[in-house]
Formats: sequence, C-alpha cells, structure tokens
Amino acid sequence: MSDSAESPTETQKEEPQPPADDSAANDEKKKIDVLLKAVGDTPIMKTKKWAVDRGRTVQSLAQFISRFLKLDGNEQLFIYVNQSFAPSPDQEVGVLFDCFGSDGKLVLHYCKSQAWG
Amino acid sequence: MSWYVLDEEKFHHCCQLLLQQSEQLRDGWIWEVVQGSKEGYLKKTALRLVTLDSKAAQKQERSGSDSEPHTSCHSSVKPHGQEGEQPDCIRDEVDDEDAGICTVTESSSQVLQFEYHILYSCSYGSPVLYFRAFTLEGRSLSLEEVWSSVHPNFRLRLQNSPLNTITQQEHPLLGQPFFVLHPCKTEEFMRPVLQAAQDQHRPVNYVLSWLSVVGPVVGLDVPLKYSTVVHPAASLSSTEPD
Repeated sequence: MSDSAESPTETQKEEPQPPADDSAANDEKKKIDVLLKAVGDTPIMKTKKWAVDRGRTVQSLAQFISRFLKLDGNEQLFIYVNQSFAPSPDQEVGVLFDCFGSDGKLVLHYCKSQAWG
Repeated sequence: MSWYVLDEEKFHHCCQLLLQQSEQLRDGWIWEVVQGSKEGYLKKTALRLVTLDSKAAQKQERSGSDSEPHTSCHSSVKPHGQEGEQPDCIRDEVDDEDAGICTVTESSSQVLQFEYHILYSCSYGSPVLYFRAFTLEGRSLSLEEVWSSVHPNFRLRLQNSPLNTITQQEHPLLGQPFFVLHPCKTEEFMRPVLQAAQDQHRPVNYVLSWLSVVGPVVGLDVPLKYSTVVHPAASLSSTEPD
C-alpha cells in the first residue's frame, strides 16, 4: 500500500516519474484510470487522464499534481470524489475506484486553496 | 437558498444526519448538549497511535519543542536522512496505511486519546473543529506536539504558517482550552463542493463534506462508507437514511 506499491519506480523519496500517461500499459489489475478535473481557478492539467497504481495514496497523487502545477508551500491541494467529499490522504486510489468509479474510470476533482488561516 | 453559507439550523440538521450515519457505521459520534442551553455540538473520542515528530515542530522556530519536560515524546533532533522539503518523507511511522516509511528520527510512538468537537461558528457561518489530546496518563499535549502530529500531507502548509492553522483557544461552550483548526478559509474549500452540488441539484451534507477535508489534518478520518452506504440523495431530504 501507499507508495511502495508494485511499481519499482515508486520510492519514498521524491518521485520524478508521474503515473503512466494515458492508456498504454494499463494493467487492469494494478492500475486504474483516473480523470483529473480542475475546479475553480485551479490550473488545468494538460494531461487529464492518468493510469495510476491502485496502491497509490490520495496524498501521493495530490503531491504529484501539486508538483505538476508547481504550487507553492502556502497552497494546499484538495481532491474531491463525487464532488462531495475529500478522501483521506491515506486512502488508496484503487479503493476509491472500486467504490466510486464509473465507466471504467475514477473522476477526481482537484482544487487549490489557502485552506486555513 | 444560498448553499455557501451554513446557518445554525442547517448545521444542526447536517449534524443529525451525520449522527444517524455514524450510528449505522459505529463511528462513535455523539451529540452533546450544553447544560442550560440549546446549544450543542458533535463529539467523538478516538485513540490514535501517533509518532510525534519534533523536526516539524522545530521548523516553527519556536523554543517549545525542547522545553517539554515530558519524556514520553522524546523526538530526536536527528535530521531526516532523505528528507528534502517533501512532506512525503515525514510520516507517522505507525499509521497502518503507510507501509513504506523513510523517517529516520527516533521519535517515539505512543497511543494518545483525541477528543474532537464540531461546533458551529456564527462569525464564519461554518463548522469549526476543536480538539484536544492526552496521553493515556492524562497529560495534555502541547501545541508543538500537536503540530508535530499533523498528517504529513498537510505538514508543509502547516510549517509555512502554523499559527494560522492550528492554535489553542478557549472552547466557546465549555470554556476549556482546546486546539482549533482555523475556519476562516472554510468557505473557500467548501465552495467547489457546494457549487457542484447545486449545479447538479444534488444534496450534500455540508458538515460531512467539511469534515472529510479537515478531519485528516488532525487524525480524524471519515470512513468512506459515509459516502457509499447511504445514498447521498437521502442525506438532506429525509430524516432517515435507510
């Protein structure tokens, strides 16, 4: 679980490799399709569809998006499922897909915010 | 009806719905009423196995982290071996969900009792999360210790402005010192959720959605089942979830 999923490229350190782009090597058992949608004035990711390891956590995905969008330290990225709740950072995306995926993909909305204070 | 503003009545309503679900899921929330008043709040206690990471506390540049006489949280001052500024290396090493951990500090992990209260704030028109934490011997945690127990996902933001995130305040109803998660940006992160709900004519439980966002910051997870077991459409339009 977490970042030590099956993929050998995922280490505890900063992960320069993002999840595989678009379709390609999408092993049904290990990766799920995630569609990322920006909310509000959050920058839109050029690539919206990603194949993500099931074991990847929400936190890991959020960090990836944050780095991709070059958010600074004052900004927190929020991820929503069904546009109605935020999954826990430790939640595995595979589980989210099982519960909330439709049409073979998990739609996640992301939003950057100052969040607190 | 403006969805962005939560009035007290709606707050109560959302809380009651949450309570019903909590009962189904045995999640432990109860409604506490203040004696001699109509006011109440949601309350939950939980045990958490926490590793207090003093490195995070030290980054605040407060002198508090080493002045704590208590030894039960003797977090080492050793720097993290692989830690850059990335929060993903600063992990509570005992969270079950986090298998791969790279922290090299000798932080001790211990079981702490957390008590969470959800109150309504008239000033902000939103729920506010108050909490306090004790060791099993009954010692309260300090603010620095609380900061160091924040989930790594939010650690960076916390480090940038700790005093704007979690501070100590007097509980508005109980008058006791509690930690509180600052509510002033609640509307900002709730807005997309509420806007979407409104656009799709789909009801959403404000308190539940809000809790799913702020809870994990302080170790309070909202089980997924809140969103799967009960059909969302039932949340606000009926009184019983089944």
